Amino acid sequence: MKTAIVVHGGAWAIPDALAEASVAGVKSAVRTGHAVLENGGSALDAVEKAVRCLEDDPVFDAGHGAVLNTDGEVELDSIIMDGKTLATGAISSVRNIANPVSLARAVMEKTDHVMLTDRGANMFAERIGFPSVHDLVTEREREEWENYKKFSVGVKELFNLQCAHDTVGAVALDSLGNVACATSTGGIRNKMVGRVGDSPVIGSGGYADNRSGAVSCTGHGESILKVTLARLILFHMEQGKSATVAADSSLQYMRERVQGGGGAIVVSPTGEWAARFTTPRMAWASINGDILFYGLNPGEEFTETK
Amino acid sequence: MLPVIVVHGGAGHVPKDRSDVSCVGVRDAVRAGYAILQAGGSAMDAVVETVTLLENNPAYNAGRGSALNVKGEVEMDALVMDGRTLASGSVSAVRGVANPIQLARLVMEKTNHLCLTAEGASKFARAMGVPEVPAESLITDYARMRWKKNLLPDANPVECQMGKMGTVGAVAVDKEGNTACATSTGGMLNQMEGRVGDTPCVGCGGYADNLIGAVSPTGHGEAIMKVTLSRLILFHMEQGQSPQEASDLALAYMKERVNGLGGVVVVDTKGTWAARFSSLQMAWAAAQQDQLHYGLYHGEDFIEPICV
Repeated sequence: MKTAIVVHGGAWAIPDALAEASVAGVKSAVRTGHAVLENGGSALDAVEKAVRCLEDDPVFDAGHGAVLNTDGEVELDSIIMDGKTLATGAISSVRNIANPVSLARAVMEKTDHVMLTDRGANMFAERIGFPSVHDLVTEREREEWENYKKFSVGVKELFNLQCAHDTVGAVALDSLGNVACATSTGGIRNKMVGRVGDSPVIGSGGYADNRSGAVSCTGHGESILKVTLARLILFHMEQGKSATVAADSSLQYMRERVQGGGGAIVVSPTGEWAARFTTPRMAWASINGDILFYGLNPGEEFTETK
Repeated sequence: MLPVIVVHGGAGHVPKDRSDVSCVGVRDAVRAGYAILQAGGSAMDAVVETVTLLENNPAYNAGRGSALNVKGEVEMDALVMDGRTLASGSVSAVRGVANPIQLARLVMEKTNHLCLTAEGASKFARAMGVPEVPAESLITDYARMRWKKNLLPDANPVECQMGKMGTVGAVAVDKEGNTACATSTGGMLNQMEGRVGDTPCVGCGGYADNLIGAVSPTGHGEAIMKVTLSRLILFHMEQGQSPQEASDLALAYMKERVNGLGGVVVVDTKGTWAARFSSLQMAWAAAQQDQLHYGLYHGEDFIEPICV
C-alpha cells in the first residue's frame, strides 16, 4: 500500500525574513518522516520523527525556538495519536523538554492516562529519564518578547496583527494503512502562565482514526478549540467530503463563527492529502509517491523529486 | 418546552447508602437551576449555579469530596461553554479553590484564553480575588479511605473508580433558547499527579452550541477523550438523531471502540432532553414544565411536580 506524509510549520503571517528557513525546515522534516515510512516504519514513528525535526529547528515555535509566556518562560504543549486504536498521549505546559512530542508519546505508551500537565508532566519526564534542557530560548525570541512587552496588546490582537505563532505538526499514512498525527507548540507569545491552547487537546489540535483519517491543526488556538477543528474536519470526511473540501469548509466555518484564522494538514486512509489555511501563510510539505510537494503562500504548490 | 435543565452526579456503581445521598443532591441542584431559568436567568447562570451546589456537596467527586491523586492530593478539572458564542473556559489540575466551575467561568470572561492549568490557574485565581481554601478542606474521610485502599499493590483504581465516578455536570436551555454546559471533577482515583481527564477538554468533557444543543458527560475520562464524546453526540444530532438516539449511538461506539463506559446528559435547542448511560448507574435529574424527572438505574424516570 502507498504511504503519505504531510507536515506544517504553523499558519500565520510568516515574515519574509523567516520564509526561506521555514520552507527549508518543513522540507527537511517531511523527508525525515518519509524515510521512516519507506523503511516500513509506522505512521506513528513517522509523525514523531518529523515533529522532532521541527522542534529541533529554532525557526519554529516548538521545542527550541518556542515563544515566551508573560513571565518570560517557555511552556510547551504537544499531542500524538494512533489512528489504529485511538490511543493518545498529550502534555500541556511542560518545561525544559527538548522534544515534547516524544514525551507525549511516552504518556501514551507508559501510563494509563492520555494527558499530563505542568509539574506532573515534568515529574513523569524525570522518572522515565527524559533529559531536562535549558537552552530552548533563542536570542531572536528574547528580543521579540522584550519588544512585545513594550507594546503590550491582547493575544487576539496579537494574532490578528500577524505576529509570532507557529505550531508544528505532521500526519501520515503507513504501508499497513494506519494513520497518525502529532502536533507540538510553544503557544502564543506573552500568553498567561499556564495557558493551554488547542495543540494538546484531542479533537482540536489533532485527531487520528484509521476509519476516517488524520489531522493536525495550527492557528488561533482558542478558536480551534471552540470548533474542535481536527474532529470537525474528520466528521466532514466521514460524510464523504474530500480532504481538501473538508478542511476548507471547516476553516471557513471557524472564520465565520468565531472569527479565527488557522490551517490544517490532512491525510485520508486512502492516501488523499491536503494542506489548507486561511492565514496569510503556512509552511507545509508533503511526500506522496516519488514527489515532494511544498508551499508557503495561498494557492502555491511546488513540486520536486524527493 | 423551555426552559429545561438536566444534571448528572456521575456514572458508575455506588452502594445504596451513597446512591440515596447522590440522588437527593442532584434533585436539589436541578431545582435550584430550574428556579434561575424560570426567573428569566441565562442557561450559563443556571448550569454554573447547579454545578457549584454539587461541588459543595461532599457526596460527589468534584470540589469538596474530590477523588485524591496518587499522592493523596486534590487536583480538579472544570469546563463551561456558552452555546451562543461557543465561548468556553476551563481549568485543569487546579488546587485550593472551592469551586473550579466558577474559576472556569472567569477564564472565559476575563481572559483571552480558554484553558489555564495547574499553578497558572491558581495564579489567575489569586489575581481575581478568588479565596484560596486549605487543601484539607476539600478532602473527605471517604476520599482518603478510598485513596489508601488503592495504594495496595493489587489495587485496580480504574475498576474501583467505576464504584463511584461522581463527576458532576449540567446542561440547560433558557427561555431565550440559549444553551450552556458545565462539568466539574476531581478526576480519577489515584491518578498520577498532573493527570488531566476529559472534563476540561472542549468537545470531550462538554460542548454547547445554540445551533444543535448541549452535552455534559461522565465516565472513564480517557475513553471519553479518545472518542471526543460530547462533540460526537452533537454530530449525530446534526445528522438528525434525537438526543436519546445520539447518546445511545455514541455510548455504544465508545464501548465497542475503546472499551469505555460512561453516561451523558443532553438537550437540544427545542428542549428535548436525555439522560443516558452505559454504566450500571447514573444519578441524574431533569426539570421542565414544572416537573422534576429523576432516576439512577436504567429505565427509571420518576416524576414529581415542582412547586414554584
